[in-house]
Amino acid sequence: MVGGDVSEGTAPVVEIAGLGKRYGRTLALDGIDLSIGRNEVFALLGPNGAGKTTLIHILCTLLKPDTGTARIAGFDVSRQPLKARRQLGVVFQEPSLDSRLTVQENLNFHGLVHRVPFRLRRRRITEMLELVELTEWRHALVRTLSAGMKRRVEIARALIHDAAVVILDEPTVGLDAQSRERIWAYLGKLRRERELTLIVTTHYIDEVDSCDRVCIVDHGKILALDTPEALRARYGVEQVRITPRDLATRTGIMEQNPNAIAEASGDIVLPGATHGVVDRLLGGFGTGISNISIERPSLESVFLTLTGREIRDQAAERPTLARPNARTGEPVN
Amino acid sequence: MLGALGGIYAIWLREVKRAIRDRGQFIGGLSRPLVWVLILGIGLNPYFRAEIYGDVRFVVPYTYLQFLFPAVIVLNVMYTGVQSAVSMIWDREFGFLKEVLTSPMPRSHILFGKILGGATVAFAHGCLVLLIAQFTDVSLRMTDLYLGLLLMFGLGFGLTCVGAVIANRIRSFEGFGVFSNVVILPLYFTSSSIFPLNPALSGSQTRVVYPEWLVAVIKANPVTYAVDALRGVFIGFNQFDPGIGPVVIAAIAIVGFAVALFDFSRQS
Ligand SMILES: Nc1ncnc2c1ncn2[C@@H]1O[C@H](COP(=O)(O)OP(=O)(O)O)[C@@H](O)[C@H]1O
Ligand SMILES: [Mg+2]
Repeated sequence: MVGGDVSEGTAPVVEIAGLGKRYGRTLALDGIDLSIGRNEVFALLGPNGAGKTTLIHILCTLLKPDTGTARIAGFDVSRQPLKARRQLGVVFQEPSLDSRLTVQENLNFHGLVHRVPFRLRRRRITEMLELVELTEWRHALVRTLSAGMKRRVEIARALIHDAAVVILDEPTVGLDAQSRERIWAYLGKLRRERELTLIVTTHYIDEVDSCDRVCIVDHGKILALDTPEALRARYGVEQVRITPRDLATRTGIMEQNPNAIAEASGDIVLPGATHGVVDRLLGGFGTGISNISIERPSLESVFLTLTGREIRDQAAERPTLARPNARTGEPVN
Repeated sequence: MLGALGGIYAIWLREVKRAIRDRGQFIGGLSRPLVWVLILGIGLNPYFRAEIYGDVRFVVPYTYLQFLFPAVIVLNVMYTGVQSAVSMIWDREFGFLKEVLTSPMPRSHILFGKILGGATVAFAHGCLVLLIAQFTDVSLRMTDLYLGLLLMFGLGFGLTCVGAVIANRIRSFEGFGVFSNVVILPLYFTSSSIFPLNPALSGSQTRVVYPEWLVAVIKANPVTYAVDALRGVFIGFNQFDPGIGPVVIAAIAIVGFAVALFDFSRQS
């Protein structure tokens, strides 16, 4: 295990040991060891193709691992799949609602197949629709909803039964910024109201700051696992933010520092801050700089240190390269 | 126990609701018997019973409309059952299957609910054919209707299973059209549905026989016996031992479900 222990000494609710999975020549998971504690909000962060969905599919017993074991609340996913599944609520990366049924019918279906008794089922449907702000859409056919709304229905659905662990595989992918924010707000609210473990995968780095622990994966391996703060402290690189007063200064700084990043706002961000750098910049461009500051390390820089790549680039590029999903028109990731 | 029934009920209910909302399927279920019975049946009716030298000795003592009617029930049940089975592929394609597979329901219950739903819809489409019974001179009052309905439901269940098995195996699946051309129609036409096994209509024609290969195919086709069973019930005519039909229908249902369950458990 790569640093970071389960918090508070409670028994882990998810235990993964030596998990490996290969698709033909692609090694999707390469020996994953992981344990996740009760009531933890656990983020699985990695670029497209890192193996996140493969790991999730093994956890919810849709896929058999080649090697290793995984346990949910003590139940082995290969040997006791029914019991393991009883502990799970899942929001899949790809849509999985029946679009010809209404919102209510989809939720009720879920309650029935998860054996939620009538009264609790009715109450949960009302509560969860309230949580995701879809009460008025209760009797609408799912196919009439927008992509963001469908996602919210899926989140409500995963919470109809009493799951110990709720897994959300890229719940915000393909959604606009506002919808993404809302979804995280629901998860935050849920966390305060109910005892459960949340496992959320994402390739948006800005989303994982509020999680208890972040596990960075790439090429089927865990690169780092710790709290966001600890990751920053250990792998992050402080950066210098410069606000140039004029264009000449801006181009001057960019020319002198090939690793500098020019932001759209006009600021220049220079990774690897030392006082020497600040002195040099002030010496060279003193009057041309209106503001200069040292920023705490971002999680992007953590990712960059660990993988040598920027996750941002991929997140931005992939959707246009990916084959669009025939049904939803959303990119397949 | 009740909890398990709840899950099966949910899957069954979903099938039924989707069928009720699918206008196209309903229109198909209604127009198919109309076309087959009213157009084909009425059109060929005069050619079915030959009267030679004023001496009418029927091999089949019924009109063509009556002869065809039970077969059209089978056709409707078959179409709808297979259509439901094909929807399993869509469930997989469109992700809904994952929702079911991650529930604590055992695979056998999931499949059973699905097939029961398909069988119910297929059965209902079989009943649509019964609505036009009076135009074919088949009197439902004279028949053992409950036995007929039971056989129709059993057949619906069996054919939905068979549809599921085939749908799972045809990998290059391109919609329902392939199915109807490759599976349903050949099975239907070789089930002695639209012509009796014995082509000799009257005594003077007894030497006319069908080629052996055709007779062999018909006898090997299990649907033949299902059609025969329904004919026995609805018009009192059997070409085989009346006991065979119900046994074959039960066998299709049991073997079909077993194979479908084997495939389903292995794949998911
Ligand atoms: N069904 C599959 N067949 C073959 N390769 C697959 C399959 N599913 C995933 N992969 C490959 O496995 C790797 C991990 O994929 P995935 O788990 O989907 O990653 P992520 O969810 O992090 O984007 C990728 O290289 C992907 O191309
Ligand atoms: Mg994925």
